[in-house]
Formats: sequence, C-alpha cells, structure tokens
Amino acid sequence: MARPGFVLDVDDRTPPLLVASGDTYRLERLPIGSRVVYPADSLPPIHPADAIQAALDTPVGSDPLTARLRPGMRLTIAFDDTSSPVPAMTAPDLRAKIIEAVLSRAAAAGIDDVALIAGIGLNRRQTAAELRQLVGERVFRSFHADGLLTNHDAEDLTELADLGEAGGIAVGLNRRAVESDLLVYVHLVTSPAAGGAAVVLSGLGSAATLAALGAHDVEPAARAAAAALVAQKVPLFAVEAVLDADVFPEPMSFLAKREWEWGLKDQARWFGLRRATAVVSSVKLRRRVLGRLTAPRHAIGIAGGDPHTVDATSRQLCLAQQMVTVNGQADVGVIGVSGQTPYSVDAPTNPVLAAWAGLAATYGAHTGTPLVRDGGALIVFHPLGSDFSPLFHPSYVDFFAEVLTDTTEPSQISAEFEKKFATDPWFVHLYRSSHAFHGLHPVHRWYEIAQAIAKLGDVVWVGADRANAERLGFRAASTLADALEIVSSSVGRTPQITYLHTPPQVVVDLS
Amino acid sequence: MSSVPADTFRHTLAVERADRPSLDGRLRDLLAGKKILMTGVTGFIGEQLLWKILTELPDTTPAVLVRRKRSAGARDRMIGVVKKEIFKAAREAAGGPEALLDSRIDVIEGDLPNVPRLPSDIDVVVHCAGDVSFDPPIDQAFTTNVVGTKALMQRMIEACSADDGTLVKTPHYVHISTAYTAGRRRGAIPEQAHVHSIDYQAETKAGLAMRDLIESESRTSKQLAALRKEAEREHRQAGYLTTAADTERRRLDWVRTELVKAGTERARSLGWTDVYTFTKALGERVVAEVGADVEVSVVRPAIVESSWRHPYPGWIEGFKMAEPLILAYGRGELPEFPASPDSVVDIVPCDHVVNAILAVCATHPEVGKAEYYHVSSGARNPLTFQGIYGHIRSYFIAHPFEGGPRGAARLPQWQFPGAASVERLMSTSERAHKIADRLLAGAPRSPRTRKLANDLDRTRGRLDFLRRYLSLYNEYAQSELHFVDDHTLALTQALHPDDQPIFAFDTAVYDWATYIKEVHCPSVTAPVRRMDALRRRRGSRPNTMKNLAKDSAGSSALAIFDLDGTIMSTNVIEQYLWARLPELSTPRQIAELGQVLRKLPAYLRAERRDRGVFLRAVYRRYAGADLAGLEQFVDQTLAPVILSRLSPEGGRRIREHRAAGHTTILITGVVRPLTRPLHPLFDVVVAADLATDAEGRCTGFLTGPPLVGESRAAWLNHYAALHDIDLSRSFAYADSHSDLPMLSVVGNAVAVSPDIALMRAANANQWTSVEWKTKPSTPRWVLPR
Repeated sequence: MARPGFVLDVDDRTPPLLVASGDTYRLERLPIGSRVVYPADSLPPIHPADAIQAALDTPVGSDPLTARLRPGMRLTIAFDDTSSPVPAMTAPDLRAKIIEAVLSRAAAAGIDDVALIAGIGLNRRQTAAELRQLVGERVFRSFHADGLLTNHDAEDLTELADLGEAGGIAVGLNRRAVESDLLVYVHLVTSPAAGGAAVVLSGLGSAATLAALGAHDVEPAARAAAAALVAQKVPLFAVEAVLDADVFPEPMSFLAKREWEWGLKDQARWFGLRRATAVVSSVKLRRRVLGRLTAPRHAIGIAGGDPHTVDATSRQLCLAQQMVTVNGQADVGVIGVSGQTPYSVDAPTNPVLAAWAGLAATYGAHTGTPLVRDGGALIVFHPLGSDFSPLFHPSYVDFFAEVLTDTTEPSQISAEFEKKFATDPWFVHLYRSSHAFHGLHPVHRWYEIAQAIAKLGDVVWVGADRANAERLGFRAASTLADALEIVSSSVGRTPQITYLHTPPQVVVDLS
Repeated sequence: MSSVPADTFRHTLAVERADRPSLDGRLRDLLAGKKILMTGVTGFIGEQLLWKILTELPDTTPAVLVRRKRSAGARDRMIGVVKKEIFKAAREAAGGPEALLDSRIDVIEGDLPNVPRLPSDIDVVVHCAGDVSFDPPIDQAFTTNVVGTKALMQRMIEACSADDGTLVKTPHYVHISTAYTAGRRRGAIPEQAHVHSIDYQAETKAGLAMRDLIESESRTSKQLAALRKEAEREHRQAGYLTTAADTERRRLDWVRTELVKAGTERARSLGWTDVYTFTKALGERVVAEVGADVEVSVVRPAIVESSWRHPYPGWIEGFKMAEPLILAYGRGELPEFPASPDSVVDIVPCDHVVNAILAVCATHPEVGKAEYYHVSSGARNPLTFQGIYGHIRSYFIAHPFEGGPRGAARLPQWQFPGAASVERLMSTSERAHKIADRLLAGAPRSPRTRKLANDLDRTRGRLDFLRRYLSLYNEYAQSELHFVDDHTLALTQALHPDDQPIFAFDTAVYDWATYIKEVHCPSVTAPVRRMDALRRRRGSRPNTMKNLAKDSAGSSALAIFDLDGTIMSTNVIEQYLWARLPELSTPRQIAELGQVLRKLPAYLRAERRDRGVFLRAVYRRYAGADLAGLEQFVDQTLAPVILSRLSPEGGRRIREHRAAGHTTILITGVVRPLTRPLHPLFDVVVAADLATDAEGRCTGFLTGPPLVGESRAAWLNHYAALHDIDLSRSFAYADSHSDLPMLSVVGNAVAVSPDIALMRAANANQWTSVEWKTKPSTPRWVLPR
C-alpha cells in the first residue's frame, strides 16, 4: 500500500525543503511551525494491456466496445493533446496503446471508415512529431499521410456541426465526431476536473462554444448542461486512464522523495542537479534539456464505457491519488511553480502561464475550500521571465503587452478585449494554420486565475521579475523572508504558513 | 594685479595732439539733424547701434542698408528687428513697429557689394556689416570685406557728389574693422594704419579667382572619382542616386573646405592668422585709399561680447566667438585648451563698442587722414587666459548646467600644457577613433554594436568640435598683442559730463570677475538652460513611432515593412537552406551545405557591394526546384519555422496599422513562396518572383529585378500616386542601410534594430530606432521537418 499524503509540521529538525521555481529547484528553510502538505506516493500501477482490455471489453454503463462496432460504420477516435500529462509520458504513450486496442477491435469488426482527431480545443495544433508521439508510430504511419489523423479545428465553420442549445449556450462540435456512428474519446486523467462528455466538448467544441464556456461569468450549471447535451447527442464511448504521481523524469526521481529520506546517492544527485543548472546559464538550453525529459507515468486505473459513469469512476480514483486532508485554512500559502506547464510544452513558460500554473492549476486544486483563508496571502516561487514563444504564444504576447498594462479585471477584459482576441484574424489564422494557441486562450486562463485568487489578499512572487509581477497585478520579493515581511502587514507577524509540496499535484481537502 | 605691459600702458597717455578730433558738446547735439547710414543692422553690433540712436539721439535719423533674405524684403526684415524686446520703448513711443520704421528709420534695400544708389542727404556712413566667421571661403571673404567695402564707399561718394563728380559735401565714413587686423604681429599695436606693402587689388583678384579654380578642380575626373569612392564606401547599398547625392554633397564640401584652406594659407603666407583678419586689413587699406577725399575713421574693436550696461547688462544676440567654448566647458566637454595661460583675451562689451562708434561719428577727422580707434581692454585692463578660465570655472561650479539623470558634468581642470601637447592629445584621439570606427564597421549587428557606435559618434562629434575651435582660436589663444587704445581713451574722456553715464566706453571701468561671472556667463547660458529645461520636460527624442490609436490618416496612409532583420530574424541564405535541404538526401544535403559555405565569402562581398547582385547570386541556387512543390512545402512545413522567427512586436505593430485602417505592405527581396505564411498580415506583398520553365521548375532567375534600395522608393512613390496615398502620413520600418531611400520617402520612418549606417542616418533624420527581438524556440541549425 502506498503512503498517503500527509501534513508535516516544521520543527527544528526539519531539513530545508524542496521548492520548484521555474526550471530550477531550491531548498528553502520554512519558519518553524509551518505546515507542509506532502502528496501521496503513487498508488500501485495496473497492468496496462489487461486494464485496457478490461476497459474496452467489460466497460461500465455500456455494452462492450466490440458490441458497438459493426462493418461499414463511421468510427472516430479522439484523444487529448500534449497538454496532458506534463512532462510527457515515457514512450509509448498510454493513449497510443488504447488507440491501438480500439483500432484492432475496429479492424476485426471490419470497419473501414476510421478517423483520428486530436482534441485540441483552443490549444495549439499538434505538430506531426507530437501526433506521432501521442498515437504511436504505427498508427501515425497508417493514418497521417491519408489525412485521417488530424487536429480538431474549432474555427473551421464547415467542419463544425450544431448540436442545439443547452444552458443558454449554442453547442457546436466537430462535424466528423458528431456524424460518426461511434466516437471513442481517449482521455488521460491527471486532475479531478470534469471528464467524460465535458472533455469531449472542450477538445472538439467550436470556438464560439468554447468562448461561451470559458466566459468569466459562466454558470457551472451551463457547463454541465452543455456537456450533458453532448453526451445525449453523440454516441460516445469514453476511455479514461488515471495516472499515478510519478511526475519526475528518471534522473530527478529522487525529488519525489521526502527530503529527510534522501540518501547519500540522492544528495549527490541533488548536488549534481544544482551544479548542472548553475553551469547551464542559458535559460533556453536548460529548457531544451529539461523539456526533452519524460516521466515514467503509470496508469492506476483505466475505465471505459458510458462517459458519465467513467468520469465518476476516474475522478474518484484521481482523488484517491491526489487528495490530502488538511486541518484548517492557512494565513499564508506557499507554492512552487515548476518549469513545465500544460500549455508551455516545448516553449518557455511566459508570465501569464506561470501565474496560471501556480494560481489556477495548483492553488485552485481543492475540493471546495481553498488552502488559504479569505484575505490571506499566497507566496509563489517562479522567476516570471518575459520569455514568449512567438510560434505558440502570439496571443499571450499581445495579452501581456496590451491587456494587462491596461487592466487585470476580468469584467473589464471581457467587455473591452475578449471579442478582439476571439476574432482577431491574425490569431485565427495562426491557430488554424500554424501552431499558435487561440486568441482566447490567454483570456480564459486569466479568468481562471482571477477566479482562483478572488478571495486572496496579497500574492507575492519570490525571485520574480518585478515589472512583470507588477503588470500581473502582483508583488515581487527576492527571498521567502522578504515575501513574509511584505505580507506581514495583512496577516501579521506570526501567520499560519502552509506549503503545498508540489509537484506532484495535490488536491487540498479542508476538513 | 600688476604686469609689465599693463602698467606701462595704463600710465602712459598718448601725447596730446592739438589737432586730434575731439568732441565739443553732447552727442545728441553734435549728431542732431544728421542722417547716419548703417550697414549690418541685423547683426549684433548694428542692432544695438540702431537701438542707441533711436533711444539716445532723438534728432538723428538712422538709414539702414538691409539685404533681402529669401522672401523677406528689407522692410520685413527691419520690422523683425524692431519687434525685438530692446526696441519696446521706441516702438511704443512711435505706435507700433510699422510706425517706428515710417517715422524714424530710412530703409534701403540692398546688398554688398551690389550697393544701390544711396540718398544724397547722408552725413555719416557706419559700415559694420561683415562676416562674423573666421574661416569663410576666400572669395566670400574678399567679396564682403574688400569688394563690398569699396562698393559702399563709392556709392557714398557718388551720393555726395554733383553730376560732374565733384564732392558737394564731405561725408564721414566710419569703418568697423577689428583689432586683429594686426595679424601675427606681436607686442604693442598703435592706433594707426598697419604697415604693409600688399597690393590689395591683386590679392582680391587672385582671391576671387580661387572660386573658379577650385570649382573646376573639383570637377576633374580624378577628384570626382575619389569623392564617389568615398560616398560609395558609405552609401553603396542604398543605391546610385543616394550615392550620387552624397558625392555632390561631398564635392560642395570639398570646394568649401579648399576655399577656406586657400584663404587661411594665403593669409598666413602674408602674416595674418586667417582670411578674416587678412581681408579686414586689406579693407582698411581700401578705406584709406577710396576715402582720401572724405572724413574717415576706422574703429577696431577686439573680441566683442555681451553688454556691460546697455540696453541691459548681458545683452547679446546669437553666439559669438567665445560662447561655444564657454558652453562646451560647462558641459565638461573641453578637456584642455592650447592657450598660453598668460596671453591676453581681449574682450570688450558690445555697448562700449557701440558708444565708441557713435562718439567717433560725432567727430570730424581731417580729410585725407584716417583716424584709428582701438576699442579693446587688453592694454589697460588685461584679462589673461588663466584669469578667464578661473572665472568661468568658478561660475560653473556655482551654477552648473543641470546634467539630467546623471547629475552635473565634471568640470575639467586645465593645466595649460601648451599647444603642442594638446595637439598630440587630439591627434592620438582622432587616430584611435578612426581605428575603432573601422573595427566597428565589421562588427556584427547587435544592440551592443549600436551602443558602441553611438558612443563613438558622440566622441567624433566632440573631437570635431574641438578640432574646429582649436584650429580657429589657436592663434588668438596665444596672441601676444597689446592694442594701444589712447585715441579711444581720449575720446571717452572728451565726452560731455552729461553724456558720461550714457555713452562712456572706458574699458578699464569694470572688473573681469563681475563681468564674466555675473554678466556674461549668465547671459550666454540662459538660453541653453531654457532649452535644456524644455527638452527635459518634453523628452528629448523625436518620435516617429507614433501611437496609432491617435492616428487619423486611415486609408490614406501606408505602413511599409521590410522583412529580413526587421520583422523576422533570418536571412535569404538561411531561408534557401530551409527550403532546399529537406528535399535532398543526406549526402546531397552535406554537399549543398558545403557549396553554400564555400561561396559564403563571395556572397557576403556581394551583399556589401549591392544587395541586388547578392540576391540574384543566392537565387540562382533555386534552379531546378519545383515552384508548386516549394509553395506546398512552405505552407505545410516551413510556416511554423518562419512564424517562429516573426518578431512579436513587429507582428503587433503590423496589426495595429491594420486596425488603424492603413494599407500594410511587405516589401522584401525574399522569394515570394517564403512570404506565404505572412500574407494574412499584409494587403500587398512585394517579393521576388522566381521564374519557372514549362514544367514549373525554377530556372534560377527572377521574373524581374529584385526590389531593393532606391527601386523601393520609386515603387512607393508610384504606388502612392496610383492609390491616392499621403506618403507624409505613412510609416516605414526597415533595418538596413539599403532601405534608406525607402525610409526617406515616408513621413514616419522607424529604424528597426538598425545596422550602424542606418542608425547614423536615423539619428541624423531624427527617426525613432526600436529593437524588435525574436526568440525562436528552435536553434538555427535544426532543419524543419
């Protein structure tokens, strides 16, 4: 049985603790009396081949996949893009295995009309190399050249079908997916966010639908209604695999250990890592080396069948892996943001994405009550360098340069800028023909950030570029001690500090 | 203070001569009812002279000879003069500037030496027009100082003569010369004609002939070829017309420089410091000769600076001799000066000169015997270089220029090491500068190179300034002249007691510390301080990178962008390799790469010479490529590589222009297929088109010449004419010197990460320079797949 996550109280015997900060790590000594939330060790992995077979052949809430296949039918297999998991899974990707299993059953059933679609939603188009990594070499070679392995295009009006209206939102979805006799959606679960039909919608929805779903004032009920509409209208067979917590690439796997358990070898590796990151002063080179590393993620459960049931099953398993119960809210939360975020694969993490990763993805992961009390402070570690990928993040460049210099207020952004970013022909062009994130992407990420920190007081970034932090509406400090000094005006001299020891991801459950 | 010559002069009054012209009454009475014709009224001394007459001599009529300046006639220019602050009282008394002219001043439009007929009622002529510059071209110096003087005097005599040529009255001609007509003599200079045996007519003829001589010489093939080569070295990339324009500019510069040199050398070969003092000295000779039958006085002021008392202490117009040096010292830019610390700087305040002139006007010298007056301070109230340096230094220590964000400048401490040592320092600096400049020309383009070049240019500017002023003032700074001013002193003492407070001009009455620190320096630094303050408030930089949100030109404006180096960080060789290599097998890739590398030096040479030649050479390599295939390859594979090199700022700027309604144009020498990913950003794409054969394979040639250099400007002008575009409200963005003609035709040119040559051009034209960076996520050597 794996060790569950737990909360450590820092005392005088506690060694300095590991904190991620961009593409480097540091050891920070936390004030005595602070609490540290450690994630659970990985749950025991399952055997993938057996689990895939079980998921497809004995699904939940559905007939076995083979029973839903018949000759001459249209079959579409859609799958998540490279934004999950991060870092990428050590090859072969689990999605490739699942897709191969689905395809072999389809072939056995004599189905000719099969298409594969990367459910990118408003994310960037996947390059050929990325598609190859996602579906595996064999599938890639069979489908890509014939144009049967494609990226979803949320702006291609001719290839989008209208599903009707739900919760006040007109729902449009990929035409091929809608018009298929069966849509198999392969999804890797790395967070307890809504899965099932909601993932289909966010991966294959039209830009207009996704714009409405991502609006800053959208009701959760509307999202659920739209997902329900998809589940109702599209013959859907969901396959979801929940991943464990082995997020560190092999040479850095010791970072997942608790610091007092580091052996001599781990200490040596730490020393080596420190030296290496110090020697490689080029941020670009460092990113290239780290970006290449893959993590040996394992599945801890695979479920297939009815999207709603599959979603419930996988979410439960995901929480079992990631949830840690914490007693009482803190005055000050501390978070480290690592260099790789879902939307900066193969690219620098720009300030907006860093803020999203720290505030929305990490701090926002909880079961209903945030880690920090209302009006409390959050201290985040990340350099917030102004490095933008001109290829992937052109809309982020504009968002950072034009919108955030003007306002950080979601309602104002929504009123003054959202439409421009949604319809800017250049952004649409780059989204459709290049590899750029959609114009709305930064806008939606910013809404998510704003929502996550709505009740927080100060947010202070340690080791961050001051101008960039200020533009994001935050403050910068050079050390943790300085950051605590800054927030002391609002939380006092002796705040209750809780450090969220991520990665791996932790879902905070306040009791 | 006591120094031998000063003491000697102070106590030695001239032997009183009974027949010396003197004053026997108040000036206003002596000059009442007289008409004084004056030249140079728009100048420094002339203006105050007019003011003084209008203010203190109510019954005297000034007549002014003023030349036309472009569209402004003499009267217009005079209205401009009397509108100045010092004429306020006179203006108001008369009821406005027009009324003042009508009631008090006779305005005669005319030029030197083409003097018009003068009115016959003139009694006195004061000639104070002249070049203020020490180094005019030789022909100009003679025209102004010799020919002009002669013409004026002849017209004056003509006006005072009957038709048969006999004088009907004897006018008084007062000639304003300079004390430095003494030339390179040393020691005491008496107030009398300088002794020399120069034939001024022959000199004048030879001097005037130099213009044609040098002009012809400048047009010889040898000279023109040399100038063209110089121009090409700098401007070849920009095109023939730019080079031609620069060649002609260089020729005119050369002619001017040669004429100046000719003047200086001629003057020195005869014992004068420069052509100004030389021709002034010859002018005195003309005066004595032509004025043999009239009353003639020659006033020789030394270095005229701001007023001591009138119209107010410190009054000065424009910058005179010493000001640039004072200001440069205050800015900390004058590290040393080749002066002898003990040599005398002979400064006189302007009002003393004006008073002396008017007093001389009131005298009646004996006909045929010219009187000379030195208006100078050196004899009785000497100010040494060491002294003036000390005063100026202490002034700036007490009142430094506001130095902006870096605080006040450090004031250099002069050691007076002597001219030779300063000269050594200068020439070493100049040599070092030249070497650094040459090194920098070969340096790769980067913000650091630009900064170095900027620093270098600033040094260059300082060195040029120093060189110019040192060579001008070198002689004066070491002069050992003592101008005897006994006649002048006698004249000021002869003033009526009531005139003393108004007209006195004894140069020994003030002390230099007060004059320099409290009168002169505050006066000359005031406009500079005002300017500095204004610049600080406004921000010194001009801005052609305008905020487009406020732009209202709409569809009548263009926004033109260059591609390579401006909105994208790549070059055509790299693009060629991207486009060509992926379709080749690995061994052929290596072979191709090898060939390109081998040819690289040749390509780079071609690029330096002519961008068109370079582009053609590289595009020859496309021979055999399938154009349709190339386009497809660009769309499918190369687009991300190209887009990842697009500068985010550049992309945003283009879209801002589109949002503002401007027509966006991409002008590039890149082959058209490679611009495909950028087409959505532009309304018009002008690129090189590869010619193809019947099978659609590239022939390696272009369908037309690549649009580079001046052809871009021509294309733009044509396009603007066809589409009713206002180029003055249009924008252009480019990075290299070859784009200079294109940038020059629009109203808002922006240099983007410019090369050094363009950066200099941008600075000269007050164009904004911006840095647009690209951070491609893949390194250069990774081939697109």
